[in-house]
Amino acid sequence: MATVTLRGIQKNFKETEVLRGIDLAIADGEFVSLVGPSGCGKSTLLRIIAGLESASAGAIEIGGAPVDGLRAADRNLSMVFQSYALYPHLTVAENIAVPLRMRQLSAAQRLPLIGRAMPGAAEQNREIDARVMEAARTLEIDGLLERKPGQLSGGQRQRVALGRALVRSPAAFLLDEPLSNLDAKLRVHTRTEIAELHRSLAATFIYVTHDQVEAMTMSDRIAVMMGGEILQCDAPARIYEDPADLRVAEFIGSPRINVLPAESDATGRISVLGAGLPLALPGGRQTLQLALRPEALTLTRIDPLLHGCVAHAENLGHEIYVQVTLDGAEQRVVLRADPALQAQLHLGAEVGLTFDPARALIFDAEGRRMRNVVSALQEVPA
Amino acid sequence: MSRLSPSLMIRHFILLIGAAVVLAPFVVMLSYSLKSPAEIERGTGGLFGAQEMMVDPKCALRSAPRREDVEAARARFPGADDGTILATLTNEARAACEVRPVVFNYRSAFQDAPLLRYLANGVIVTASIFLLQMVIALPAAYALSKLKFWGREAVFGLVLFCLLIPVHAIALPLYLGLAKIGLTNTYAALVVPWIVSAFGIFLMRQFFMTVPDDLVDAARMDGMSEFAIVWRVMLPTAIPALLAFAIFSVVAHWNDYFWPRIVVTGDRNLFTPPLGLREFQAGADGNLYGPMMATATVIVIPLIVAFMLAQRRFIEGITLSGMK
Repeated sequence: MATVTLRGIQKNFKETEVLRGIDLAIADGEFVSLVGPSGCGKSTLLRIIAGLESASAGAIEIGGAPVDGLRAADRNLSMVFQSYALYPHLTVAENIAVPLRMRQLSAAQRLPLIGRAMPGAAEQNREIDARVMEAARTLEIDGLLERKPGQLSGGQRQRVALGRALVRSPAAFLLDEPLSNLDAKLRVHTRTEIAELHRSLAATFIYVTHDQVEAMTMSDRIAVMMGGEILQCDAPARIYEDPADLRVAEFIGSPRINVLPAESDATGRISVLGAGLPLALPGGRQTLQLALRPEALTLTRIDPLLHGCVAHAENLGHEIYVQVTLDGAEQRVVLRADPALQAQLHLGAEVGLTFDPARALIFDAEGRRMRNVVSALQEVPA
Repeated sequence: MSRLSPSLMIRHFILLIGAAVVLAPFVVMLSYSLKSPAEIERGTGGLFGAQEMMVDPKCALRSAPRREDVEAARARFPGADDGTILATLTNEARAACEVRPVVFNYRSAFQDAPLLRYLANGVIVTASIFLLQMVIALPAAYALSKLKFWGREAVFGLVLFCLLIPVHAIALPLYLGLAKIGLTNTYAALVVPWIVSAFGIFLMRQFFMTVPDDLVDAARMDGMSEFAIVWRVMLPTAIPALLAFAIFSVVAHWNDYFWPRIVVTGDRNLFTPPLGLREFQAGADGNLYGPMMATATVIVIPLIVAFMLAQRRFIEGITLSGMK
């Protein structure tokens, strides 16, 4: 169990900058997700932490000790790969035992056939067998120990890969999209299990995924990566409620956050699609973007801020996602509505929308979050 | 069932001709190994020969009655003159030497030449060559497929270039080199020139390219050194490809006549099976085709048996369908 600290990690492949200065401090026992679209450098970052790839610049510490230049085997980390990467010629038990055998047995003791006869080997092997059994029990794969990976289902292989990672006590677990090869149902189930495993082991987990739901549901903190940078690293609720960057807001949350063109006038008063809001931003006239989560928008008859008509509705049973084409805007907005309203939400129905101005997230034209928004009921500071 | 359309029939006809051309020498070899010399000479006896008793000429020569045999046998033939006794004894000796042609051919193969010794040499040489080829080709292929280093593509280019060099072009310099260090007429001369196999490196590299990088990374995380990865991870996953290479390598060197003929000049104890065929070649009494073909049959049988056993995996390896 240990902390993991990254300082100014950069990585270039030839001319391409893959990582441009990553700083991240992960506490002991913390579950941190690296999430982002494909090509954002999250897997590269994990491989650099693992020691499978070297950084072009920057420093890594694990448990307070610098590990730069240390090969992967000596960093005392465990990794679960997306493809599971089980040894196809070994049984499940042998697969799980490999990390222990490589570390605890001498080269002579590892020799096939005669290795078991070497002095001390019997005792070591008994201990290894016991720990393999323990790991297998934890993951409920103790019935599969004699099988080969080729005879296992995807979910079972994934458990074996987890078993191989947790059979020894590493400083931290690195997981590279471990659920992406599972079907949807199993993914939800395994998600819970990994989160529970993290709780019971109280170990440091670094989890790479492109799936925001996985990141949201399991993590203590989420680091949202894009274009080789960490845009924001915060608790899941904070990332969702209070994104620092429009790209973070757009990446996290499903359905996607609604972004509307907005502007502030000379006094700083903000308006969206011509509707004035009781919000103001010091600094005079500028182009802004206003983002609203689908649940922040509500249908209303009384004094609506925005007008539009229903373009599409998706009934999920417990709620309806309504897509509304706004008057004066090109893109549609999505909102969540009560299924009881279905009858009124036929295609082309005229609807009025409103929202609580306090829930609107204001970004500048480049997508940076504007945090100095004030309620316009107060006097705007000059 | 599709009907036999004319184009299909033509196709099959061409394939059948091809098969016949390839199989004919083999059939002749098998057939000759069963026939008596007289049948071979006259072209009679069909495929299997009539298998009529024949007299083993060597045996007959060996046991031909001599002067003292006639003297000793006089008691058995009271009153007969020497000529009659000699004729009777000769007939007896010839009768004792009567064998079936198939027995004669195969017995000659093993008795007239130390064929077992040659077979053992063949096993020693081909096994040593293959093992050493593996020891060199696997790490080389691993490096060329999974390690990143400056000039890797250039090195691989050189490997491909080496595939283009015909053996015969470098035979003379190789021979001179071996002669200079006094290695001719040794097992080393038969083995050493072949242990770096460009084809082996190429084949294994192509196979290793299909092994997921994650597997190598997982092994690194598990604490394996690069060499341990080659022997403990890559080798076991590459068994099908290795088997394919084994067949190429073993067949080529088991059947090789050219190189052993060059470097083994005197010592018959080093003869490989193909060199053994020369024992029956154009002696004073002409070619002994029967025993020669029997020898050839014995030589190819191990290869055919090995191929039959490994056929499925061999084809797997050739198609290089590794893991997904």
